[in-house]
Amino acid sequence: MILEAKEIRKSFTEGKESFDVLRGIDFGVERGEIVSLEGPSGSGKTTFLSILGCILTPTKGDVLIDGEVANAKKLNDIRKRSLGFVFQQFNLFPSLTALENIEYALNVKGIRGREARLEAERVIEAVGLGDRQAFLPRDLSGGQKQRVAIARALAGKAPILLADEPTANLDSVVGTQVLELFRALAKKENRALVIVTHDPKVRAVADRVVKIQDGRLS
Amino acid sequence: MVDLATKSLLHDKLRFLITVSGVAFAVTLVFVQVGLFLGLMDNASLTIEHLNADLWITSHDTKNIDFAHTFPETHVKRVRAIPGVASADNLIVWFMNISLPTGSVEGTEVYALEDFTKWNFPWNVTGGNLEDLRRGNYMFLDSSAEHRYGGPFAIGDYREVIGRRLKIIGRSTEAKSFTTTPLTFMNFTLAQSLVPSELRGNTTYILVKLEPGANVEQVKAEIRRRLPYNDVYTGKEWAARSRNYWVESTGLGLNMYLTVFLGCLVGIVVVAQTLYTSTMEHIKEFGTVKAIGGGNADIYSILAKQATIAAVLGFGLGALMAYAMRPLIYKIDLKLVIPTPLFAYVFAGSVVLCLAASMISFRKVASIDPALVFRN
Repeated sequence: MILEAKEIRKSFTEGKESFDVLRGIDFGVERGEIVSLEGPSGSGKTTFLSILGCILTPTKGDVLIDGEVANAKKLNDIRKRSLGFVFQQFNLFPSLTALENIEYALNVKGIRGREARLEAERVIEAVGLGDRQAFLPRDLSGGQKQRVAIARALAGKAPILLADEPTANLDSVVGTQVLELFRALAKKENRALVIVTHDPKVRAVADRVVKIQDGRLS
Repeated sequence: MVDLATKSLLHDKLRFLITVSGVAFAVTLVFVQVGLFLGLMDNASLTIEHLNADLWITSHDTKNIDFAHTFPETHVKRVRAIPGVASADNLIVWFMNISLPTGSVEGTEVYALEDFTKWNFPWNVTGGNLEDLRRGNYMFLDSSAEHRYGGPFAIGDYREVIGRRLKIIGRSTEAKSFTTTPLTFMNFTLAQSLVPSELRGNTTYILVKLEPGANVEQVKAEIRRRLPYNDVYTGKEWAARSRNYWVESTGLGLNMYLTVFLGCLVGIVVVAQTLYTSTMEHIKEFGTVKAIGGGNADIYSILAKQATIAAVLGFGLGALMAYAMRPLIYKIDLKLVIPTPLFAYVFAGSVVLCLAASMISFRKVASIDPALVFRN
């Protein structure tokens, strides 16, 4: 398995009270597999995604990337090397063009110069925005922004892609197009894809649907 | 490498303009304040430096060249007899009244020597012959008088100095004092005759030239021994004493330091505030940098670069504005002296202070949780 979570527990403390958000989750995903992680609001799915993405550390349990435990001291490196993110709000840099948004992410991952430029051009072509690469985010539609975000996640060949509600800010038709594109590219490049969603359309592109409720998988 | 720092900074042009303007304002303030201070200090010792005497003998505890006190002119003979002294001459520096064609009376600061050519003083003569000053009731007037006295004058014009009609037979430029009172040059005995009650038989300074290889300290000690009620200084010591008097007695130094401090404070506050506001507005972008694997070093390099760009551009603009103000300041008989080391110090100060201002933003960004990228 490329991504594995073992007995993940997460508690948050607010004042004197402690809340258990995740109550012991075991989870795994293979290369090339697409998993839809569904659950109602407050079920803990975004917290779980943050832990899978090595952004949050679990209170108990381990995340394993390609069989290796994600050490809390190396989370930055793991994110650079192995993970690509797609956010609900796109989170593109407004001052950078579509191509530069992708290239900058590659720069952060340590890929620079011509290599970064070629890889950014490859992925922006792959999401069908070759003719929009010099556009600033403000000049792109919601669907186009999300495609740039997908290209940014794909860039650098991270084996694991994590998406948080990627269709939440898109209309139904565009949302479907984005999901199909996302699925096609993940399959073609043999990437594992975990999508946190409320959107039933995601089920259509997922290989497996996992439900989370009250901090447990059901 | 994609330059997120620069592109992000330039993306919001108004804020960028405010940041650069803040730095430029502070830099201009520092240049103008320090430049004016140095210009005034330059004037305070300008005549001392141009007279280029090795030693100055003054009455006891004279504070600066402009506020001279008298002592017997015959002291100069005792000085000339000291081994190591090549020559010594009396100099009178004295404030007198001058009547103008308009009927008004103004002050003038008279420099009186027996032989002006020997001392090459005034150093920048633009008309007339200094040799002629000893031949009658004649005077040279510095060009700065035109502005101060509210009208032009010409060689051949007459002016009354303490009731005596003197002919202007020459003019100089650049001869100034700290007080901005125009300088007049006349023969030593003529000056004595204008103020007989105080100057007859008296001088205010003795200028000394030493023989090559003479031991300065030994000559000074001998002068002190022979003139126990006078003080003796080297040219540099006397120039420094004259400058320090104005710095300490007028609060000029404190005023300059205070304004420089306030200028720096304004610069820091403007840069810190605009960078901080910008950082808070872009906090999710910084969260994204962290989420995609960037560390605090990546983020600080962005903030540091933005602060440095603001510092460099603000410095350039501020220096340009200060330079543009020089002719205006010169028109009001003041000088803006901006030496090269000052450029280097202000540039370094601008960069360091802007980087320090960016630390406030960095502290905020360093503590952000990258998980905020998942929040709406």
